[in-house]
Amino acid sequence: MDTLYYYLPFLESVRDFMELGGPVLNWIGLLTLAMWVLIIERLIYFKVGHKKMVSAAQQLWEARPDHQSWNAHQVRYRLISVVSRNMDKYIAMIQTCVALCPLLGLLGTVTGMVNVFEVMAVSGSGNPRSMASGVSMSTIPTMAGMVAALSGIAMSTYLQRKAARERELLSDHLVIKHS
Amino acid sequence: MKTRTMKFLGAVALSMGLSAPAIAAEAVNLDELLRQVETGRVKDAQEAQERLAEFRADRSSQQQKLANMRAEKTRQENLSAQLETTFEANDVEIFELEAALQERLGDLKELFGVLQQASGDAIGQFSNSITQVQYPDRTAWLTEFAAKMGQTTRMASLDEIERLWFEIQREMTETGKVVEFPTTVVTSTGEEVEKTVTRIGAFNLVADGKYLEYLPETGRVLELQRQPQARYTKRLGDFEGASSGYTPVAIDPTRGQLLGLLVQSPSLSERIAQGKEVGWVIIVLGIIGVAIAVWRWLVLTGIGSKVRAQIKNPQNPGNNPLGRVLKVYHDHKGDDVEALELRLGEAILRETPKFQSMLPMLKIISVVAPLLGLLGTVTGMIVTFQAITLYGAGDPKLMAGGISTALMTTVLGLVVAIPTVFLHTLVSGQARKLTQILQEESAGLLAEQAEAQRGA
Repeated sequence: MDTLYYYLPFLESVRDFMELGGPVLNWIGLLTLAMWVLIIERLIYFKVGHKKMVSAAQQLWEARPDHQSWNAHQVRYRLISVVSRNMDKYIAMIQTCVALCPLLGLLGTVTGMVNVFEVMAVSGSGNPRSMASGVSMSTIPTMAGMVAALSGIAMSTYLQRKAARERELLSDHLVIKHS
Repeated sequence: MKTRTMKFLGAVALSMGLSAPAIAAEAVNLDELLRQVETGRVKDAQEAQERLAEFRADRSSQQQKLANMRAEKTRQENLSAQLETTFEANDVEIFELEAALQERLGDLKELFGVLQQASGDAIGQFSNSITQVQYPDRTAWLTEFAAKMGQTTRMASLDEIERLWFEIQREMTETGKVVEFPTTVVTSTGEEVEKTVTRIGAFNLVADGKYLEYLPETGRVLELQRQPQARYTKRLGDFEGASSGYTPVAIDPTRGQLLGLLVQSPSLSERIAQGKEVGWVIIVLGIIGVAIAVWRWLVLTGIGSKVRAQIKNPQNPGNNPLGRVLKVYHDHKGDDVEALELRLGEAILRETPKFQSMLPMLKIISVVAPLLGLLGTVTGMIVTFQAITLYGAGDPKLMAGGISTALMTTVLGLVVAIPTVFLHTLVSGQARKLTQILQEESAGLLAEQAEAQRGA
């Protein structure tokens, strides 16, 4: 670990920042990481996997001789549903992550304040220097939680709207022919 | 005086001697008695004469004594007067001499003041310094020296001044050194162990890869009950093992204050206990929530895998939600499309609510937990304000204890709510997926199957 810090000195400042923010900051970091992994996975899916699914669904639909019976309608629903089910995967989880980030920030604030009051209980209010660590532990997670939520909120909205639009597009592509 | 007492005793003995023959003579006769009285009377008169002569002689000697005493008195009075004048003269002389002493002390008095102050400061510094472990006897000497300088009657000897200088210089030199020395250490279990301790300047005491604490009140060296992060203590081993060169090591620049605070922070169980009743309610809710989530997750995963298997094999409807829907279709194959659709809708409606079971409960827990936390906060604040009403706001420690209790319930509420929300999303996602499969895909699956059969 020490050699890693030696070759990548910025990691040390990251570590110091994480330590300044207390243990809750680690959780926020982990949650943000998970959230962004899911977001990137979704973006890649829309670029690669989704296209394949759509073309496969279209081929299945086009290959059908019958496009207007009750059976045809049900098959079409199923095709759309399978594609959109795959699209919606993880989006709820991403939204939950966005919602949880500020909540974890709040948790950090409260644990930091607990720390401040514990210091006060031990050493009285006369020593602001010893309280400072608790104050930084209570403010940094709030900020980090906000930043993490803000970073994810745009992406989650984009993904949600993209999924809805793609579903519309797909149902437009699977044309019901009336002869 | 002595002679008088003797005489009195003699008189008593005489009267006794008189009465004894009188009693003995009673048996004789009255003439005898008379004779005896006669001789006795003569004898008494003689004695009275003698006594008188004696008293007269005595009086002249008493007068002689009185004269002597008077002479003595005047002599003493003269002496007193003489001494009084001497005293006054001495008093004046003392005053003059003292003035001369003050005048001559002049700069020296300032020196005493400086010495007293310097030694006083040094005591304060030394007694809190960890070098005190190595040189415990210096503060006693310094205290004595400071007291002596405070009286300003005795001069400081050159040796003493030099020793003060030496002690301060030694402290300075020792502050810049890393030294190993043996001493008794009280371990975290309370045992006293003889250990080789490494002192890093005036900052920290270290032994066996652990930070130690020096208590100035008792002069003891204690092992810190809670050690800092492992990456700090890990380096201590290398540091203690090294004999030369440079080794990185973490020191406490506040000379042990920060490490001391580390020990005072309460442990996890102590913190949980601070939450009181509301805290326990929240914890129980959290356990229930997690249990529900895990149970539902296991159930839904089981159903999900069965449903996925069923999608691949629609011909043989099994005992799972999708299978039961397919079975309805298989049982009513002959019906027309609209009746079949109604039957399917009915079957789907029968199956889907099961997926959602207990999920609202999970949602409720995730919402109620922070609210309970808030409740605990408010009740904690009420307790705090009651304490203020009783004892006033003068003691921040009293208030801080109540406030940390109040905050602890908020923490617990959030700690329960966050995973519950997370698990709810996870489980309800699964439930929604299954619902979607049944509602939107089961009919399609049947249609595909029907077409395949017709084609075949």
